[in-house]
Amino acid sequence: MEQKRISVKICVGTACFVQGGADLLLYEDFLDPELLGLCDIEGTSCLGGCKTDDPKWKAPLVEIAGVLYPNVTKQRLAELLREAVDA
Amino acid sequence: MDVDYHQTYKVGQKIGGDVFLQSKESPTNRVVCTLSDGLGSGVKANVLANLTAHMAHKLSFSPMHLTKSAKIIMNTLPVCNERKISYSTFTIADIRSSREGAIAVQLVEYDNPPALHFSGDTPTPVTANQINLHREGAFKEEVIRQSTFAMKEGDRLVMFTDGVTQSGMGKGFPLGWRQAGVTAYISGVIRENPDISSRELSAAITRKAYALDGMAANDDITCAVVYIRKPRKTLVVTGPPFTQDRDEQLAAKMRAFEGKKIVSGGTTAQIVSRLFDTKVKVDLSCWSPDVPPASKMEGMDLVTEGMLTLAKVAVALERKLPIHTMPNDAVRRFVSILLDSDQVSFIVGTKINEAHQDPSIPVEIGIRRTIVGRIRQALEQNFLKETVLEYI
Ligand code: FES
Repeated sequence: MEQKRISVKICVGTACFVQGGADLLLYEDFLDPELLGLCDIEGTSCLGGCKTDDPKWKAPLVEIAGVLYPNVTKQRLAELLREAVDA
Repeated sequence: MDVDYHQTYKVGQKIGGDVFLQSKESPTNRVVCTLSDGLGSGVKANVLANLTAHMAHKLSFSPMHLTKSAKIIMNTLPVCNERKISYSTFTIADIRSSREGAIAVQLVEYDNPPALHFSGDTPTPVTANQINLHREGAFKEEVIRQSTFAMKEGDRLVMFTDGVTQSGMGKGFPLGWRQAGVTAYISGVIRENPDISSRELSAAITRKAYALDGMAANDDITCAVVYIRKPRKTLVVTGPPFTQDRDEQLAAKMRAFEGKKIVSGGTTAQIVSRLFDTKVKVDLSCWSPDVPPASKMEGMDLVTEGMLTLAKVAVALERKLPIHTMPNDAVRRFVSILLDSDQVSFIVGTKINEAHQDPSIPVEIGIRRTIVGRIRQALEQNFLKETVLEYI
């Protein structure tokens, strides 16, 4: 069966960028190339997390296959993508 | 009017013996440029040239007669210990534009290679009066060249030091590049790129001279260009309008604007994309660790993040950071566009951002105003640009 491609959007709004988002943009350096090959990664403007008072939406935010994830570190991004690919 | 210069130091020197100064009197639109080359190179030459340039600059603003100014300069310069002479060359261009758009230039030159006047790519001869100073205690004959002429749209005035005309000497050119060689080269460059900015033209000339010197400059190489061009305009839009019903006004202003358009700020970009019904696409090829990525939007020349980018732009302009030393990010593109413009209009939205969680922007609106103010001031003072500010 053909593997469907995963759409990944990394927030590059000011709040996310300064709180770790910049690191995530180096995804080509830390993600497994095989994983990279299955994902369409792009940047997106503010995903809205920084505009709520809810501490749950801690920057930086990443949207993976339509689902928002807060507080994404490099390691967490790798895990989330692996899960999404395996699902 | 687009004024800029470029400089390469003599090989092994960390400081230039050539000094270029420019200033503008705001209400009268009068621009004065001074280029001076001090005897020798290095620190001593730099001091001489600096003194000369500053004096020439101040004096030229006063109505004092020219020869008198020139004598004052020469009498004031310190005498070199070894050679028992005090010496530094100068070129002063005093450029005044009348309200009707006529531009009158008064050129005063002492021992620099004669400045060149171009209409498009055609060199236009400048007829100069020779004034012999007959100064007491002069170690050689001192002849000042003085000329007055008019410039019109599409004209350029190119000034340079002898590091340019003498480049290549002994390296394939027995007498160096020479005036005729430089003139022909400039004509060629303008023919190929009729709208070339002063920044690019002066850089092309110094680069060429440097190459002729075999990549090790024999002398300081400095070139300055004044270009009379149809004003290039840029509009910078930053911050969402105070209330939503002003969004349409913003769109109308942007539509009516003829020139380059920069949108700075994520929320602002979203508003503009909605108003113009176009998509914003983040450009992940253009960012650096300090500056979030730029985006692409049809009809806009540049779309950037807001605060971080603007703050960096302000610093780059205040410190006059050379563009080629900047990383390939949104700040570099922003600064390039600003420096290639003559007039920059800012439309600053005054809505308060509801960014609660963001520690980097506590009182955002105040900061936005301050940063835009700094950018305007640097553009006006360091780069002689005209700026306009409007709040919405
Ligand atoms: S900047 Fe990322 S959610 Fe607002």
